[in-house]
Amino acid sequence: MSDQSGKHDERIHPAARPFLWLDAPWLKSSMMWILLVLAVGFAAVDFFHHRHEYVHLAETTGFYALWGFGSFVLAVMVGWFVIRGLLGRSEDYWDGEGDQ
Amino acid sequence: MIEAFYDVSPAWPVIIGGLIAAAIPHHLVRKGLALLAPILAGLLWFNVPSGGHVGGVFELGGFVLETFRFDGLSRIWGLIFIIAAFINGLYGFHEKDRVADAAGLIYAGAGLGAVFSGDLLSLFFFWELTAISSVFLIWGSKTQAAFKAGLRYLAIHVLSGVMLLAGAVIHASETGSWAFDNSLSVDTLGGLLIFLAFGIKCAFPFMHNWLQDAYPKATVTGAVVLSAFTTKLAVYALARGYAGTDILIWIGAIMTAFPVFFAVVENDLRKVLSYSLNNQLGFMVVGVGVGTELAINGAAAHAFVHIIYKALLFMSMGAVLHRVGTVKASELGGLFKSMPVTAVFCIIGGAAISAFPLFSGFVAKAMTLAAVAHEHHYLVWLILLFASAGVLEHSGIKIPYFAFFSHDRGHRVREAPANMLMAMGVAALLCLYLGWPDMFGIPGGYRALYNLTPYPEVANAYPMWTFDHVVGQMQLLMAALFAFAFLVRMKWYPDEKRSVNLDFDWVYRRAFDGLARWGFAMFGRLWSSIGNLLDGVRTRLGGRLFQTFSPMGALSRDIPSGLLAIWTSALLAIVLLIAYLAP
Repeated sequence: MSDQSGKHDERIHPAARPFLWLDAPWLKSSMMWILLVLAVGFAAVDFFHHRHEYVHLAETTGFYALWGFGSFVLAVMVGWFVIRGLLGRSEDYWDGEGDQ
Repeated sequence: MIEAFYDVSPAWPVIIGGLIAAAIPHHLVRKGLALLAPILAGLLWFNVPSGGHVGGVFELGGFVLETFRFDGLSRIWGLIFIIAAFINGLYGFHEKDRVADAAGLIYAGAGLGAVFSGDLLSLFFFWELTAISSVFLIWGSKTQAAFKAGLRYLAIHVLSGVMLLAGAVIHASETGSWAFDNSLSVDTLGGLLIFLAFGIKCAFPFMHNWLQDAYPKATVTGAVVLSAFTTKLAVYALARGYAGTDILIWIGAIMTAFPVFFAVVENDLRKVLSYSLNNQLGFMVVGVGVGTELAINGAAAHAFVHIIYKALLFMSMGAVLHRVGTVKASELGGLFKSMPVTAVFCIIGGAAISAFPLFSGFVAKAMTLAAVAHEHHYLVWLILLFASAGVLEHSGIKIPYFAFFSHDRGHRVREAPANMLMAMGVAALLCLYLGWPDMFGIPGGYRALYNLTPYPEVANAYPMWTFDHVVGQMQLLMAALFAFAFLVRMKWYPDEKRSVNLDFDWVYRRAFDGLARWGFAMFGRLWSSIGNLLDGVRTRLGGRLFQTFSPMGALSRDIPSGLLAIWTSALLAIVLLIAYLAP
């Protein structure tokens, strides 16, 4: 295993070196807050601007933000608990056919 | 414009190029063909006079075949198939596999041939050719799993072709026409068979597993090639024959939603892309089902941009597979340090498929959603909105995040080969260009896409770049992105682990397989029992015959003549009695 930070790893692509901060712990720990600010910022537009939509429900304040958040959580939870929980099997279930 | 070539379908140079490639051992010559053939096809496409054209008509065995129908619908599909064939040729430039080179070209040419077919018999010919040629791209992996998946793929697609032919024969006997047009209907037996044939290739729910079974097992280049043609040909066929068929709206809606759940927990990233492909097809099928001019434009535009960004995503995962040797999410991470250019292209593909503003998916998907809302299918509209957030999850986040970021697994590999990067670069540029808005009085790239749609005046009248539209989309996507970060932070996001998830293919790979094995075993036992029974009968009958006719048998014994006289008299008496009593 190589140097995980990559600063001294000569095998790192030169074009990637200026972007090693993408792997920094501070960014990983603050990513949720950055995205929260962006999500709230876009959602807050609804308080100042009335959107005109073909579907009246979509004109509700914060509709797209709530639907996006809810849909994502629903997709992950159903995938995790229903699909993996009920239909998940070990990788050799198909007699090794699942392997590349 | 060269009039002499008006009747030549762009399919022919690509198919002929494939046939020549099959015979040429020299690698570079084959690769030259792989690039030249789509260019020739493109020249033929541009050579056709605007306003529609029917050519390449000839008679065979009493049937009139129409091999080159160029109109608004086939025009856009033909062009994107040609572009895809060229990008595929570039991407696979480094591979030295004669069979794959030939199969890739013949398959692309067959797809083009099917799109330009004006009658059901020509369609059937090219339909089957796509199936037969493409299976070599799966078998090219040369693994036992790929071989078995290829057999299943071939069986299902040949079945689709047989259903198409049977439906066409019945349709022709009912209507007297072999024309491939909107006269087809699911209310007739012939029309229903053709509809189901298209449905198999389009990966309708419960008919979809050939896609997730075969594509991830194809070769690096094979998966890219496969992603472009078969399913989009099926969408084209549905748009040509069944536009406005209501049932398609719900079929499509289900197609957009269910793959999302499977993609979330799938470990094989090329299989994630296969589920994602299924989800994207759903949007197109909904558009075809709605059937208005705006909806058909949406389906066509979506197919166009989808082929490009889906190919881009498959290419990026192919590059990872080529360099690292795996595309299992559980074994990847941190690859942006080794393959930064591929990572950027993958992110562009992810942004395009997620329909971020300024990327191609945004301008295409919007038309379908608007058409659905216009026609008051509000529940379907909500499902499509859910699926849009789902697309972001599996293709916009999961693919780039787990391959290139996430936990660094320490893979230090070389960047993808130059030809792969060039192919990805072309696709990435198109993803950006086709999503570019009008700016400073200069028409945006999306106008080029809209002008290609079957009803360009309707497309250009659609108010695409409105403040409400952009903000609404960003609200949806940013909230979904936050949901991802939130779930990861709370450790409520499932780990990537080595596993498989059962899908409907369990029915034919396990249940039907088990039933067939049981049936064969029972048949074997039955056959054995019948054999024993026959042996017994033969033995007993032989014994009886021996006892009767052998030199020692009953008939060889001396019988007293008196006994014979008694029996003769008895028979005579019976005959006389019957004769006396008879009226």
